[in-house]
Amino acid sequence: MSTFDPAAGLRPTDATLSARAYLQALWRRRDFAVAMPAETIRSRHQNTFLGNVWHLGNPLLTVGVYLIVFGGLLGADRGIDNYLLWLTVGVFTYRLTSSSVLGGSTAITSNQGLMRALKFPRALLPISVVIGEILTFGFELAAIAVVAVATGQGLSSRLLALPFVLAVHTMLNLGGAFIAARLSDGFRDMQQIIPFLFRLLQFVSGVMYPIGRYADSDHAWLHRFVVWNPIVHILEMYRWVFMAAPVDVPAALLSIGTSAAVLVFGFRFFVAAEHRYGRP
Amino acid sequence: MSEPAPVAEGHTPLSLRVSDVHIDYEVFGDRRAGLRSRFADRNASGRSLVHAVRGVSFDVTEGESVGVMGSNGSGKSTLLAAIAGVLPVTSGEILVADEPKLMGVGGALIGSASGYRNIRLGCLAIGMSADEVDERIDDLVAFTELGDAIHRPLNTYSSGMRARVYFVVATALTPRILLIDEALAVGDRHFRRKSRERIAEIIGAAGTLLMVNHSLGELANYCERGIWLEQGEIRADGPMDDVVAAYSVDD
Repeated sequence: MSTFDPAAGLRPTDATLSARAYLQALWRRRDFAVAMPAETIRSRHQNTFLGNVWHLGNPLLTVGVYLIVFGGLLGADRGIDNYLLWLTVGVFTYRLTSSSVLGGSTAITSNQGLMRALKFPRALLPISVVIGEILTFGFELAAIAVVAVATGQGLSSRLLALPFVLAVHTMLNLGGAFIAARLSDGFRDMQQIIPFLFRLLQFVSGVMYPIGRYADSDHAWLHRFVVWNPIVHILEMYRWVFMAAPVDVPAALLSIGTSAAVLVFGFRFFVAAEHRYGRP
Repeated sequence: MSEPAPVAEGHTPLSLRVSDVHIDYEVFGDRRAGLRSRFADRNASGRSLVHAVRGVSFDVTEGESVGVMGSNGSGKSTLLAAIAGVLPVTSGEILVADEPKLMGVGGALIGSASGYRNIRLGCLAIGMSADEVDERIDDLVAFTELGDAIHRPLNTYSSGMRARVYFVVATALTPRILLIDEALAVGDRHFRRKSRERIAEIIGAAGTLLMVNHSLGELANYCERGIWLEQGEIRADGPMDDVVAAYSVDD
């Protein structure tokens, strides 16, 4: 009787999970990570007359704007074959990165109620955001396919490489979302800053025009930045998939490594502050 | 009376131990310091420190039900959130036998989604698989008795209707430690009776209940032990009737 310890078997309520246990807890909730963003997407156009038509209508209208501005008014092909397709691929894939990171920046701050009500690994929230953006990207991929067919480019067996490119892209986006989530939880001002960073980054990532052309020896810093910026090369990979545009293979390999590094760093950076999320 | 209640005789294991817990948190005052002084001195940022809980200790055994009372701002809800592990303690330690489930009125799920989808998402978030949820969702929805309203967005619900949704999510997994923060106070009599039966079931299954409520009658209905918290400190801890008597005298 004297050896009985009533407190045996108790553990701290906020015990830090091992990396393995944390990942297992995340995996157990994988259905949530899809159901939550699917819910948001389902309700996105529910107040409109055309409803779900807008999922595809929105990206198609975006292409329409580019068609009018660049095709009709400016008449500029900028030395690129099928500039409309080139631009469409660039804009939508870049949007996937910027929305993932921007969404990540509000993943923690806008779900305080959920976090106070239920206990779950907080990384689930940025992951849900990124999955939601990938679902949205699905409609944009359809719009890209429409443009590819309409412009005579057509679709090829290179599409088989699309899941791989998307996987690399997702590593980068998820890592970025994790970093943005922690930064803006600690410093809300980040949510104002991040959109400007991405607007700036857009002009040096080869979204609207081939940045490589300007990154010559006269602009050594730009050249270095273009080599190291994974977005430039991920966009190139997408353009290879859809229009057989040339890919700088060493730079592409480097971007795969960079994206993986961003994911690993981002995850660790996010989880290190796990206890702080959701406090009043 | 400020001594922790003695642990029940015999070999009843603990489900919860709170030892010398302090919880401070920073809040932004309504008068924030100007930008210049904020840069000059980080402490002049207009934040102030709230000492919500100051050195609270108690043990709870399996099968015990504890009602926590105290005036507004006495630290009750803060303590419950800390036990749930959703709010970090500043010092001290909270030990639990199993993951506590917190049910509070403040916890909004997803306002724009229907009650049905909130139940589904809530169950998924606490780690049920999609198959498990599909299997049980009809029962859970039936328990709420919300009828067609279950398909309306959560933010069109009254607080009582919302409480029903929270209740089925919080109790979906028969938690071993259930923390209820005021949430049942807003339910109507019929639902309170139903939820009392469900809670009795949970306590019967070696579960533990910790409850915050302003209605002393409600507390006495659910709990055999009372803890009176005032300004973040325990003023009394013992059988519910004694603590209620002491608390009422003070009033």
